[in-house]
Amino acid sequence: MRRSLRKVGAWPMAVKVPVVVAILMVAISATISNQILVRLSQTQQRHLEQLASAYLDGLSSSLVPNLLRDDIWEIFDQLDRSRELYAGLSAIYTLVAGQDGTILAASDPRRFPSQEAVPPSLTERFAPDRELVLAEDEERAFVRRSLSYQKRPIGAIYAEIDIQPLLAERREVLLTLIVTNAALTLVFAGFGYLAVRRMVRPIDVLAAHLERGRGGHIEPVPRAEIGAKNSEFGRLFRRYNALVRALSEREALAARLAEEEKMGSLGRLASGMAHEINNPLGGMFNAIDTIERHGDEPSVRHSALRIVKRGLVGIRDVVRSALVTYKGSGEMRHLRRGELDDLRFLVMHEVSRRQLDLAWNNDLPDEIPLPVGPVRQAVLNLLLNACSASPVGGHVGFSAHAIDGDLVVGVTDQGPGLPEEVAAILIGAEADAAPPGRGTGLGVWMVKRLVGELGGRVRTAPSQGGGTDIQIKIPLEREHERELRHVA
Amino acid sequence: MPGKSPRRVWREPRGAGSPFARRWVLGGLAALGASALAGPGRAAETRSEEIRFGLTPVFLSSDLELLTRLKAYLAASTGRPVTLVLRRTYQEITALVLSGYLDAAWICGYPFIQYQARLRLVAVPVWRGRPLYQSYLIVDRDRSATGIADLRDDIHAFSDPDSNSGHLVTQALLAESGETPDTFFRKTFFTYSHRNVVRAVAAGLAQSGSVDGYVWEVMAEIEPDLTSKSRVVRKSEWLGFPPIACAKALRGSEATTKIARALLTMGDDPAGRQVLDLLRLDGFTAGDNALFRGIARKFDQVKRLG
Repeated sequence: MRRSLRKVGAWPMAVKVPVVVAILMVAISATISNQILVRLSQTQQRHLEQLASAYLDGLSSSLVPNLLRDDIWEIFDQLDRSRELYAGLSAIYTLVAGQDGTILAASDPRRFPSQEAVPPSLTERFAPDRELVLAEDEERAFVRRSLSYQKRPIGAIYAEIDIQPLLAERREVLLTLIVTNAALTLVFAGFGYLAVRRMVRPIDVLAAHLERGRGGHIEPVPRAEIGAKNSEFGRLFRRYNALVRALSEREALAARLAEEEKMGSLGRLASGMAHEINNPLGGMFNAIDTIERHGDEPSVRHSALRIVKRGLVGIRDVVRSALVTYKGSGEMRHLRRGELDDLRFLVMHEVSRRQLDLAWNNDLPDEIPLPVGPVRQAVLNLLLNACSASPVGGHVGFSAHAIDGDLVVGVTDQGPGLPEEVAAILIGAEADAAPPGRGTGLGVWMVKRLVGELGGRVRTAPSQGGGTDIQIKIPLEREHERELRHVA
Repeated sequence: MPGKSPRRVWREPRGAGSPFARRWVLGGLAALGASALAGPGRAAETRSEEIRFGLTPVFLSSDLELLTRLKAYLAASTGRPVTLVLRRTYQEITALVLSGYLDAAWICGYPFIQYQARLRLVAVPVWRGRPLYQSYLIVDRDRSATGIADLRDDIHAFSDPDSNSGHLVTQALLAESGETPDTFFRKTFFTYSHRNVVRAVAAGLAQSGSVDGYVWEVMAEIEPDLTSKSRVVRKSEWLGFPPIACAKALRGSEATTKIARALLTMGDDPAGRQVLDLLRLDGFTAGDNALFRGIARKFDQVKRLG
């Protein structure tokens, strides 16, 4: 029942409204028809009563003298002739009985022979207190009139009247009402269907736009489709268009903010990198000084060159790592195991600045079928966040595994925990969640976006040693599927 | 219908006679003194000239065409204005004849016998070649009765207490076996018209009826629907046809003589022929009191028992 009701609820407006109209019409017409029929039957009964009364009046005045004289023939003659006189009243029979209940004469003497008692089956059909008794199921009416002379009862007239024509008229009226109302109901329902379909057309337009918007292409409704300026739908469309514009602006703003954030983090990275480069530079200058001063000594020169070489290798690693990370977001090359390890060089500065203990655990196979750019950027953001969130001398953990066809990367810190709104951005189901305001959680929002684009999910939990444990999980799909999804 | 208005005098529509009368009155006024003597004289003469002819409620008395033609024929034939007088019962007409109010009347053989001493025969209708007719006992078509013995405890319809065929004949028949209608039948009633006896039996109001054989036969011709619902159980012997009679005192009067002549020569006149055709009669004959001896015998039979 409830299910079928729910089904009805899913019908389009263009069907529901005409159905409601039809139901209302049926209800109204049933009520009105009932009223009409009740009134008609009342009118008919009144008419019948008047007719029967006139019939009995006409008969009784002329019958009384003949009844007194016991003149069978004259009574019969009157009853016989009255049949033609009262053509509007189809009496099946009329009979006149004396005070002793003996039939004097009947219009149908073969059925009611004179000199016999009025059959009890007949007398019980007539009410003693009323002249007219209706028996609609038998299509008959029974009328009785007492005859009196000088205030003394001398007999009675009984008549059975065929009311079939009245009932036929009633049936005809009912049929006419049903046919008319059914036709009107159909017309109104059809009209309602067309009218509502026309009226809800703007909703279809809006629904089509919203449906298209799901694919990311949210577009305003063209001016031509908006229709009348002051109509509800005109206003709705204008508000929708305003919303579309606001969303577009916000998206553009978010993209700009993301870019700024990228530049910001790039700045932080650059200073880190400068530091990383600067650290070996001091040692390398010392080594060069040593070579200049004691270059003649092979052992000294050798060890100084080793220092220079180590310093250059460190610089090369940092530069290469930065290059790989920021070479371009569109890079679709597969991730290699070492490319995640390289990220250590990018956070090294932070780690040593804050004297953090970085635990690194990379179990990945040599090549992971995921694009290198977004994964690295997302993991780097998480690492940078973890480093800045952890207290000085704290512990930061990194782990990467391939489990059941997923890339699972975990980053733990000992920070105070993610603010609620930032956590909400990170784990929220909304792929298109709006970026937060400047400064707070923008990096997190970018992680969310990057992981979301790869079809992955982010999970956060309090870390065992206090702080936060953030895990990203990206399914390792086949390459072409991902490409298709990107195209979509 | 004869029973409907017991006091009805048949008069010629006024339209034909009155313009003439009005012109005559105006002329009389213009002539003043000169015509003063003649006016009243002629008016008195007009009154005495009128012939009053009575009709018993025989079946055809309700036929306006017949009455109009009969009146027109009689007026033309006698040269005098004619008034047809109709009453509901035989008795009323008989009384009017006896009183001399009517110049002549078509009555029944029964009252003619009853008042034989005070009435004189004017003419007797001839039906199927003879001035005779029968009385019929009729019952419902589907009834198996074969004689009057089967009609015991019936509701029986008579036409008129003073009718020979519609009452006396059956009375006399019952008297033969020592019965009267009241003892033999459960209930009897009078319809005051032979045609109504046929109607009563046809409708089933009466199980049997006594009716004029001439009326029944003519009705069988012109209203077969009605007579076909009844069946003749018994026909009486041939009896004198209901005659035209006048008061003894009026016998030989100019009016009576003219009526007699008009009736006896009816067949010679086209208008009279039409009347006879409507009546299904051959003509009229002078007749003879001896024709009614059969009725007289029945009257005696009934009187003896009563």
